[in-house]
Amino acid sequence: MAPLTSEEYKVLEQSRQRLVQLTRSLGSLVSSLEQGDPLPPWSSLQSQASIISNNLISVTEHLSDHRDLLSSIVAYPGPEYPGRTQEAMLQQLLRTKLDPRVEDWVARGRTAGTESSHPALDFSRTIPNPSTAANTTAKQLSESELKDLWEWAPIEANQEARQRNWGGNYTLEEREAGIQNVVTGLRRQLEDDDASEDEEEDEEDDGEDEMEIVGVHRKSGGGLEFDIAPHHARAVHPVVPLDKILRYMTTGHMP
Amino acid sequence: MHELLLFASVPVHQHHGLLQQLAGLTAMQPRHALERRLIFKAFRKPGLITGRVGGSQDLQQASAGDLQRVNKMLNGGMFYTQVVGPVSENDFAPKSATVSAPDADAQMAGMDDVKPSAPAQSDVTHVYDYDQQTWKLEFRDIPEAATRSAITTRVMASAALPRGDIEPSMNAWGYGFVTEYLVEGDVFIHNDIVIFLHRVLHYPTSEKEPREPRRSLPSLNKMAPLEKTGSYVLQASITVQDGSNQETMKTASQHLLGLREQLKSAVRLEPADRLSLDTRAK
Repeated sequence: MAPLTSEEYKVLEQSRQRLVQLTRSLGSLVSSLEQGDPLPPWSSLQSQASIISNNLISVTEHLSDHRDLLSSIVAYPGPEYPGRTQEAMLQQLLRTKLDPRVEDWVARGRTAGTESSHPALDFSRTIPNPSTAANTTAKQLSESELKDLWEWAPIEANQEARQRNWGGNYTLEEREAGIQNVVTGLRRQLEDDDASEDEEEDEEDDGEDEMEIVGVHRKSGGGLEFDIAPHHARAVHPVVPLDKILRYMTTGHMP
Repeated sequence: MHELLLFASVPVHQHHGLLQQLAGLTAMQPRHALERRLIFKAFRKPGLITGRVGGSQDLQQASAGDLQRVNKMLNGGMFYTQVVGPVSENDFAPKSATVSAPDADAQMAGMDDVKPSAPAQSDVTHVYDYDQQTWKLEFRDIPEAATRSAITTRVMASAALPRGDIEPSMNAWGYGFVTEYLVEGDVFIHNDIVIFLHRVLHYPTSEKEPREPRRSLPSLNKMAPLEKTGSYVLQASITVQDGSNQETMKTASQHLLGLREQLKSAVRLEPADRLSLDTRAK
């Protein structure tokens, strides 16, 4: 087994660096999703996602460019490797099979890949389904199809809307199935409006006596924050500076 | 004792809003305060004061510790010092009434707005009694020329003084009356921070500057603010008993800086110019 040349070392090192970059940007997205309260603006999520996808592209390109080399090299411990103290690391390095979780991901990725390369071309329905069209990006809708879609969509949407009772947090279907089963993806608890209407009215009555809080609001990081003093029509700025006032208060010297 | 301070200038149009914001922040109603402040200045070299301490009989009621402290304070150097007396709105002459203090013979020459012939005395239930006025001596050192420049720090001490006419006692201690003014404002307490939003009011001007503290008070609405536009001064202070303890001093300044951060969008709290708080008499 021949030792690696410096070129081949370089390739390995490059793949390591690209993977480090990828994990780093993934980590930063995860932490901004976990710690950001409220969630970061969509534009920043978007830019983070595009960074990640660029990293992914560069990793994949790199891996496929050096496929021959990377699939042929084998890791083995040298005699000077501290096998006793670094046993866990050694096991990790000598693994030939993927981690079961990772195997799962890979399998899922493969199925997703094969599906997208053989899109289900389902145009048997007379009305083009927009979601299918969106998935099969390869095929653009023709003029007439677009026109059909625009004629169809408002009526269909209206009909769909009439079937539902708007204004609640849950649909009738969801309520019939039991609202505790609904996955909203929200952290805060949504109220079931029908049940809590009476309570809300009571709260409103109670609230009338309380003073409104103006100009103060909670900061996201905890604590209070004050609104900047609104621009005042009769803004009069002090003529005597603060230190002159303090001097007068200390020694009685007129400013 | 040490005092840590931050100041801000508050334009008059912001005063009302800031009062409400402070009330919200501190969860308390403002406590209105009116204080007579008399400025005294040392006129003798320290050490020249002999054993003769006239007028100190009254001080015997005060504890020995207080007496010692006052003596030490007063003999330590040449300083301006303040005598503070809390007053209430009732102490001021009513708006239109022509009432004089009971000792009308001591009426100040310049107080022409208060006629000595007081016909309406019987209608008035409350009259300002100068002889019952409580006083507190407030000594403040020049702020420390510290590297911690984000906050003004100075040595302070206070002591209770006898009631009534304080001038003879102060003269005997080697302090001469310089001037007096009134401080009007509102006090808030926020944890360990005392927030005092106040302004200086002048007594109505007269041809002759009084040589001694006033025995009667004019009507409150005749008082004119020192700052003509009527702006206020916001003072946030923490008093630390043991100023040599670095830990407490650090905690206190962190609390003050925290308040500054909270009020950042409303007012800018800053340390004061050190020389403007210079109490040394030259």
